[in-house]
Amino acid sequence: MPLEIDKQGGAGSWVIAVRGEVDLYSSPELRTAITKAMPKSGGSVTVNLSGVPYMDSSGVATLVEGYRSALETGTQFVLAAPSQAVMKVLQLSRLDSVFTIREGA
Amino acid sequence: MEGTEFYLDLASDPRLLNGVRGLIRGYLVSAGVTGEQADCIVLAVDEACANSIRHSYGGSRDYRIRLIARRDATGIEFELRDDGVPAELERCKKKESIGVPDGSTLQPGGLGVQLMHEVFDEVTFTPGQERGNRVTMRLSLPVNPGSVKRAQDG
Repeated sequence: MPLEIDKQGGAGSWVIAVRGEVDLYSSPELRTAITKAMPKSGGSVTVNLSGVPYMDSSGVATLVEGYRSALETGTQFVLAAPSQAVMKVLQLSRLDSVFTIREGA
Repeated sequence: MEGTEFYLDLASDPRLLNGVRGLIRGYLVSAGVTGEQADCIVLAVDEACANSIRHSYGGSRDYRIRLIARRDATGIEFELRDDGVPAELERCKKKESIGVPDGSTLQPGGLGVQLMHEVFDEVTFTPGQERGNRVTMRLSLPVNPGSVKRAQDG
């Protein structure tokens, strides 16, 4: 099942809305979307995860890569409205306190 | 595994994982496990399958993974077997701390095995001498009388 990824914004400020299950098969799509959206410097990338009913460790690793990339470029990296399932896997990974998480979309 | 209730052979193809999760979830319902506990077990077993695909078979899609599960009065146990490259046991150990608040040193790899350890009480990797792996995952989960609808009853 492919992910649906919608990217909106501009001028170094992007919102990536993800819909579908993020697992070993689909996480490369998310990785590509985040990599393409990441500004060369500054700006922000927000990943809206309200439409993600399942995420595995490859999805979490993809978000970690985005987080690290954003640190290098001085970009604000935000996870918006994570679903209950996403929050659970972040908590189990003990990474829920590492990411900037915004409850609303 | 004695008393096997769930038995599945699948190809090492990541496209199948979505369907496998559905089958595991269905089995858990029949074993009386639902809600967040079921969600976590589905996640951990999915991680075991993904780990086998990525590491045992190096991403090749044509090999076999065998998944077996059994519920008894004290808990639930899953066993995964593959014929791939034996796991490095050092990589499979439970780490006391995964993830660090200082994100600059955060590494994206190795989370899957740690999630398996987080969800299950016991996770044992048994690599073969030359080929193959057996991974057993057990969670203590006493049966609540009346809550278990076993498949043979239905």
